[in-house]
Amino acid sequence: MWTGLSPSEARSLLVQKDKAKKDKRMSITEAVSTLVKDGYNLGIGGFVNSRQPVATVHEIIRQGKKDLLLSFHSAGLAVEYLAGAMALDQQQFSIKRLEFAYWGIELFGLSSMLRFLSENGMVELEDWSNFNMSARFKAAAMGLPFLPCRSPLGSDVPRANRSKIIDCPFTGEPIALLPACHPHVALIHVQEADIYGNCRIGGPLFTCPEIALAAAHTIVTCERIIPHEEMIQEPSRINIPFFAVDAVVEIPLGAYPGNCHSRYYFDENHIKEFRNAVEAFRKGNPIPLQRYYDQYIYGVTDSDGMLEQIPYRQLKHIQQIELREAVLMQETGDDKQGDGKNAH
Amino acid sequence: MISKGMERMHTNFTPQEMIVVAGSRVLENNKVIFAGTGLPMVAITLAQFTHAPGIIPVFEAGAVGPTLDRGLPLSVGCSRTTSKASYLQGLNTAFELTQRGFCDFGFIGGAEIDPYGNLNSTMMGQFPEEYQKPQLRLPGSGGASDMAASCERTIIIMAHERRRFVEKLQYLTSPGYLDGSEGARRRAGLVGQGPYRVITTKALLGFDEKTHRMKLIATMPGETVESVQQNTGFELLVDEKVYEFAPPTVEELRLIREEIDPRGYFIKRK
Repeated sequence: MWTGLSPSEARSLLVQKDKAKKDKRMSITEAVSTLVKDGYNLGIGGFVNSRQPVATVHEIIRQGKKDLLLSFHSAGLAVEYLAGAMALDQQQFSIKRLEFAYWGIELFGLSSMLRFLSENGMVELEDWSNFNMSARFKAAAMGLPFLPCRSPLGSDVPRANRSKIIDCPFTGEPIALLPACHPHVALIHVQEADIYGNCRIGGPLFTCPEIALAAAHTIVTCERIIPHEEMIQEPSRINIPFFAVDAVVEIPLGAYPGNCHSRYYFDENHIKEFRNAVEAFRKGNPIPLQRYYDQYIYGVTDSDGMLEQIPYRQLKHIQQIELREAVLMQETGDDKQGDGKNAH
Repeated sequence: MISKGMERMHTNFTPQEMIVVAGSRVLENNKVIFAGTGLPMVAITLAQFTHAPGIIPVFEAGAVGPTLDRGLPLSVGCSRTTSKASYLQGLNTAFELTQRGFCDFGFIGGAEIDPYGNLNSTMMGQFPEEYQKPQLRLPGSGGASDMAASCERTIIIMAHERRRFVEKLQYLTSPGYLDGSEGARRRAGLVGQGPYRVITTKALLGFDEKTHRMKLIATMPGETVESVQQNTGFELLVDEKVYEFAPPTVEELRLIREEIDPRGYFIKRK
């Protein structure tokens, strides 16, 4: 029944955990090698291409983990990178199972890697809806084995997953029960954290707080570590409490080439470069994808190594369009200057 | 519907522009609209800029009540959805609002639709036999099945092609009127009333009150009842007052092309 941790395993792991308010800063290499093991259920934070834990998944790829279970509502870049590594070499890195609601790139199109892995029968699939996955993490965060939900009533979704439809004991009407999802490790990227792991999220929260509280361990990457004193001036703005966090890694642009609210917008040019490579792979040409991984993931030791290769103008542009009103962009002509056409 | 009395109509427009204009015109002012990425966002923004400034958009990633004047969002989770938002949480909160009854309309789409407004956005192939190895894998439900379940009504946007309008779906992702029988949604435990309109590149459609089968309400400019039926893979009911939908006004097209999507992210210029 339980594909990750069972509720009782998840509880006992937390009970045994050291909750001391201690300095949890470490390198991404150390965080992943200490906390992520083969066969683990990983809870992926962010939403489609926004605030995805890109720097963390690149490190997971470098360390060559195997047979992972990926749990998420809607994801794009993070899972596309993981799947691309598996497509290139299953002996080096592999995913065993997906529990998810949406894998795609919205405006940028269908996912080449979800198509490749599923149409070749390389991963187990369990479809849910966005609310279902969010509620499954919430059930786990609440310490409950399940939550009732209206969706996916009426659809084919419950015929291919573990939801149970019962008659509500109070209304007598059908209701769906969704099993809790307790990842072994949550991968979360935020704007600000302190050294103890308290996190302040900017923009939509997605389901990041619930995923962090549901998981046995949480790796937080952040754009900036801020002083603890600054963090606790507004305790109601702390979205993830320190004792739910095991590793804090400061990685500016840690969600790049995705969007990170109030920091940087999507890098459409770079996303296209990656998309073209995965689509070429799906159509039978592995060379651009192998070259991409060699250049940006395997050939570097951390995200600095990738970001050093991105032209400064391109990085400046995604910060400008995030921070400025659209109207100002037109007046200054910055949009034209930095549209990345000169890059590469 | 807005009054067309004194307004100048445009004659040069694309099917996508027409779909967005139709989407905008069916939206009522002061309603809460739960919307997906792409054309629904353009339609909502156009409605906010024209007849319905009081529309309250909700995006599933967490933003409630924004005005999309910082540039069109490229995703329901991206930064631009939070521009002037009046409430900002996460997915659970947004979807809880739909179950509670706060969301009047959900604005969704899919790869396939059947006569009862059920949608498929999961897979092509035999279900359940080929579920683990589908012929074509689509992105999955995302929030569409949640909106279809629990928004009070849904508005569906579709490209009008025969292969997409099918008698039987390959997989039912988002529930419409299910098998069309009286009370089918209630028996399944669904609280929302189901699909209200289907807006396509060729037609504006609704549903018969008794049979819940899809019914042609209006044809888009240049289309006829016959041309719409020819591009539909099942038999359509035709409303006795079927009419031709008014083309976009000069002002609607100016707003789409110059204000809302000047870079043509969602509305291709051809």
